[in-house]
Order: sequence, then C-alpha cells, then structure tokens
Amino acid sequence: MNAFLRTMMVIARRDFLSIVATPTFLLFLLAPLFMLAMGLVGGVGAAGLAESNRAGGRIVALADNDMIAGLREADARLREGTGSFAAPTLELRPVDTMPDDAAVRAIFAEPGSDTLAVMAGPLASPKIWERGAAGQSGRYLTLLADSALREAANPAATPRVTADYRLLAAAPASNAGRQTLGFGAVFVLFFLTLLLAGQTVSSLAEEKGNKVIEILAAAAPLEAVFLGKLVGYLGVALLFISFWIGLAAIAGVVAAALAGGAAPAGGAAAVIATTVPATGWAFFLSVGFVYFVVAFLLLGAIFLGVGSQAATVREIQMLSLPITILQVGMFGLASAASSTPGSPVAKFAEAFPLSSPFAMAARAATDPDKWVHLAALGWQLMWVALVIAAAARLFRSGVLSGRSSWAFWRKARRPR
Amino acid sequence: MSEYVVEASGITKYYGDYIAVDGVSIAVERGSIYGVLGPNGAGKTTTLRMLLGIIDPDAGERRLLGSSRPTSVRARVGYLPEERGLYPGMKTTEAIAFMGALRGLDWNEGRRRGGAMMEELGLARVTGEKIRKLSKGMAQMVQLIGSIVHSPELIVLDEPFSGLDPVNQERLEALVRRERDRGATVLFSTHVMAHAERLCDRLAVIARSERRFEGTVDDARALLPMQVRYTPRDGADAAAVAALLPSGAARVHDQWHFAIDADGVEPLLMRLTGSGLGVAGLAIARPGLHDAFVHIVRQTDASYDGSADEPGEEPAGELAA
Repeated sequence: MNAFLRTMMVIARRDFLSIVATPTFLLFLLAPLFMLAMGLVGGVGAAGLAESNRAGGRIVALADNDMIAGLREADARLREGTGSFAAPTLELRPVDTMPDDAAVRAIFAEPGSDTLAVMAGPLASPKIWERGAAGQSGRYLTLLADSALREAANPAATPRVTADYRLLAAAPASNAGRQTLGFGAVFVLFFLTLLLAGQTVSSLAEEKGNKVIEILAAAAPLEAVFLGKLVGYLGVALLFISFWIGLAAIAGVVAAALAGGAAPAGGAAAVIATTVPATGWAFFLSVGFVYFVVAFLLLGAIFLGVGSQAATVREIQMLSLPITILQVGMFGLASAASSTPGSPVAKFAEAFPLSSPFAMAARAATDPDKWVHLAALGWQLMWVALVIAAAARLFRSGVLSGRSSWAFWRKARRPR
Repeated sequence: MSEYVVEASGITKYYGDYIAVDGVSIAVERGSIYGVLGPNGAGKTTTLRMLLGIIDPDAGERRLLGSSRPTSVRARVGYLPEERGLYPGMKTTEAIAFMGALRGLDWNEGRRRGGAMMEELGLARVTGEKIRKLSKGMAQMVQLIGSIVHSPELIVLDEPFSGLDPVNQERLEALVRRERDRGATVLFSTHVMAHAERLCDRLAVIARSERRFEGTVDDARALLPMQVRYTPRDGADAAAVAALLPSGAARVHDQWHFAIDADGVEPLLMRLTGSGLGVAGLAIARPGLHDAFVHIVRQTDASYDGSADEPGEEPAGELAA
C-alpha cells in the first residue's frame, strides 16, 4: 500500500471509529424512523407513477386497410359511451397478412408506452394476444371488433365476434415497470445521500476546532486527508445501511412467518415481482450500490470542500440549506431522466456529474447496455478526484495559509 | 563535509499586503540543534510551515532532507505545531499511535513505543487516559511524543516549551538532547532565550519578518562587549566614581554596571586604585543570549522592550496564533 493510501486509511479509520463509538451515533442510527414517513411518501409516488404509466399504455389493432376507418369510428363511439372507463390508447395498423407470433412479440417489445394487447386477423374471429391474464384490454378489442362489424353490416344479421385469446408467453418486461424501478433507484439513492452525505460538510470542523488540522496537513497530503475523511464517513453510511437492511430482512422474515408464507400482493411489491430490470437484478442491484458509493463520494467531496472553508459553526449551519437544495435539484433532474429514458433531459442528467450516479442507476433499469456504466463510473470517479483536488487546493491556499475563509471568493471579487 | 538537513534561501511569504517572512535564509546541519528565535509575530511559525511544505513560499527556495519537495519526505520528519492539537476523545496511546501511523509507523508499534516514552517522561499514570482528562502541559507532552514516536530524522518543534512547567521544560530539554544524540536533527523556535542558550548549536534571530542574525550562541553573545559589575569602597564619592567610569555606566544600588571598552579592564583598574576610590568588588561577565537577542531586535525595532511579546501578531488567520 503506498503512502497516500496508507495515510488515507489511517484518517478514515480514525473518523469512522470516532463517529461510531459515541452515543450520538445510536440516535443517528434510529433517525430514519422519522424519515420513514418520507420513504412512504416516495413509495406512494413511485406506485402512482407506475399506475399512471399503465393507464398510458396502448392497445394495437392490426387490420385490413378498409377496416381501419371503421375501427377508428367504433373506438370513438365506444369511448363516448363508456364514460369514465379509460381504455388504453388504440393504435391502428393496416396489414395485408396475418402476423405470426414473432411479429406480435416484437410489437410488445417496442419501446415507449407498454403494449397491453394486440388484435389481428378477421374481425369476426380475431386473435388477441394479451400481456396479462386479467387484463380488460383484450375484451375492449373484442368489443371494438364487434362494434365495427355491426356498423359495417346489418347488425341483426351479424353474428357475435368470437375472439381467440392468447396470453403472451414470457412477455417482454414492462417498460413502465422498468421506469418505476429506475425511479425507485433514483429515490433510494437520493434518500440515502440526503440522509448521509450532508454530514461531510462539518467533518473538518473538529480538526479546525481542536487544531489537529495542522498536524494532519504536515503529515499527509491534504488530498489524502479529505479522501480519508470521505471514506470514513462512507464507512459510517454503509454501516447505517447494513443495519437497516438487516433490520428490514428480520422484519420481513418475521412478517412472512406470521402470515404463513403468503406473499404480499399489489402496489410496489407487484411491480418488483413482475418486472426485471433491463440489465438483470444482480447487475442492477450491484451497480446501484456502486452508484450510491460514487454519489456519496462526489456530493460528499463537494460538501466537504465547501464546509472546509467555513470558519464557524454558524456558517456550517447556514450551508445546510443550499446543500439540501442542491441534492433535491439533482433528484429532480434524475427523476425526469428516469421517466423519459433516452430523452435529451435523460442524456443531460446522465452526463452532468452531480446527477449522473442517480440517472445512470435509473438507466440500468431500462437499458440493457452494461458497458456504458463502466464509462459512467470512470467519468464520475474522475470528478470525485477533481473535486477533492480542488477542495484541497483551496484549503491549502486559503485557510491553511492563514488567509481568511472564502479567500478565493474575496480574491475573485476584488476589483483589479 | 557537513550535510544540511534544512536549507532555505530567501524564502518569502505575503499575507495579502503584509509581508510575514522576507527573504529568510537558514541552513541546519545534520545532527545539530538549531534555534529560530524571534519575538512573537516575527515570522517564525510561517518560516517553519514553509520549510515543512505546509504552505508554499511566494519566493525563494527550500530543501528538506535533500528534497526540494518537502512533502515528499514527510515520513522522515516530526512536527510539533505551535497550536497544540489532539482529538480530545482519543486515549493517550491511541493519539500517539495515530500520529505515528500518519507518518507510516505501525499502529501496534506506535502504541508500544508511546507507552514506553510516556513512562520515560513521567506520564505513566495517564497512560490510557483520554486526552480531555489531561492537563494542558500533559497533553502537550503527549503530542510531543506523538511527533517523534516514529523516530524521525528531522524534528521541528514550534515553541515547544510554551505552556510547560519547569519540570517538564527540563524533561523536554533532556529529550531534545537525547534525540540529537540518537542522530536526529532538531529545529525549534522559541522566544525564551534560556532554552536556546542551553540547547542550540546554532541559531537564527528573526525580527520584523527578516533574519537579523545567524550563528552560534557564542557568536550572538560576542555582539555585545563584556559586562562589568563594580563596587567601590565604602564612602566613595559617586560623582568621582562616575567621572572615572566609561560613559553609559549605570548605578544600581551600591554597584555600577558598564560595558568594557576596547582597552580592556586593566587601565580602568589602575585609574580606580590610583584615585583612591578602591575596589570592594569587581565581576566581569559575558553578556547572555537574552541581552544579545534584545540588542539584535532593537537594531530594527527601537521600541522593543525585551519582553519578546510584541503587540502586533502576524496575521496568520485561523490556524496560527
């Protein structure tokens, strides 16, 4: 281990132990009980997003060209007549021949709105493929075919439409579900960094207060001091997360035992049970964890750098508001990215260093490309290094050189 | 051929428009004890910080242990800053081991050495105590041990005697000599001349941001003439005595104090005995480092009163005194 890493680990160890071995850490550990309410609100929001996405799904009718107009009119009539019942958006596609199963599967796998049902074949006896067994979309398509036929011919002489319903085997994963997973990843990462990374803003206050900073600065590169503090705080954060995951796992086991093994149904649980992230669960969870680490280091480095310039506790307290606003801003940007994968907003959020870990975690849910995450992590880690180097440089040339805090700011504002 | 562990040439530091250190040059030989003396606010701490690479000079060059990048030889240096600082929640041996670990010493070895050194310095009863329970002087000794626990080649101590009681000051002096005997080089700053006089092989005096003197203690003392304490026989007329003594002689109770002029003391003795004033007592003393220091500082600051506590501190911000 080289000298930089060694001294970094010495500082990380000291910070970690000094935080964990105090009674206040217990209070900190239990603080999420209050924050749980916020998590519930987020969960409700995510479920709402999933529901709204489902409502925005589509049904597709493949028919002869001369039947398209009739189907469109029938759809309009039915929607007018059904009132509050909102059928998914109908998409009409003229076809000459009956599509095979592969073509239908391709329609279900198309990006954008989820395809809930596809109808093809003669309207009197259409084949209807459905994503879910309990869906109403297939029945609506039958009704649509029936209405269009009766309008075109003598209603009394027209036999009832008999549809051949088929459940799509191994249906492609729901885009809406994946977006919900993406949003969930953004929310969890945001929640954890909001809860944990903000602490780093005051992490140098102790050393400045008890004058240890000069010992550290003389003994180790400031970059190692800063990184060591970040890693120490990251250790605290991971301990915190492990504690709560462990607690949740125990609670889950106990709840399952009490319920006699019955699985919970509906809501977010249903989304998780039926949706597989585009990159697979193992990769999604692993890369999500790594993105949390990088997000913590990146935001923590910024907060640490800004906090190191603060001269008083009051200044540090004052910084908490802009820090929270910055984090919420990044959450908003990444949320927008998760709801519109591939859009310019999503691309911007993925490239912008501070929102990149969140947005890329969301992307892992909707985009199967795995290598892009390697590039993203490299990009984000580069920014961690840049921020730490800049923060150390400002600290060395400002505070450590005996100049007052925010010297660089005052210097920049000084008229030339 | 002597080898210099510390070399500085014309190092300069500005704080805004204020010049804290102005072109200071020093050279410290390996295995020596070197003192940087000066009144408060003279620029001693800033000089040491520049030498150690904590801050960079605005001008001039420095070499530490042969390297022009002082930060690259950190592990071979021990440093006790003027601002004492320890984590109050740490135990003494942990604090020492932590400081050693920062310089590359194994934690367990740091604990072992720390415990032994505490015992040696009479701190055995506070081994394992938390820092917050120690007196200021004890905490300072713990920090000093932490600064040298990794057996550095160069030990830099900024005002190490400040805040220590006489017993601990004596222990510290012994420790400094022992480290020198081990082969380490010791560079320390102080404004208390007695310690410098007893310890230093060479010294530099910094005043008003500039180096005013560099040499041995004897060199410094030689800047002033020998001092005479003369006591006339009972009944001697004061005016007659004053007329025979060199100008500037001062009467202190029944004694006269004056410096020996270039002719030496013999002509004066002949005048005194010849005039019948006689000699009841006569003492010739070399001036101390304190006198030399005051003399040097007053050359640039006539208002300096010799207390070594100037009202104008260097504006060294949050981390400096």
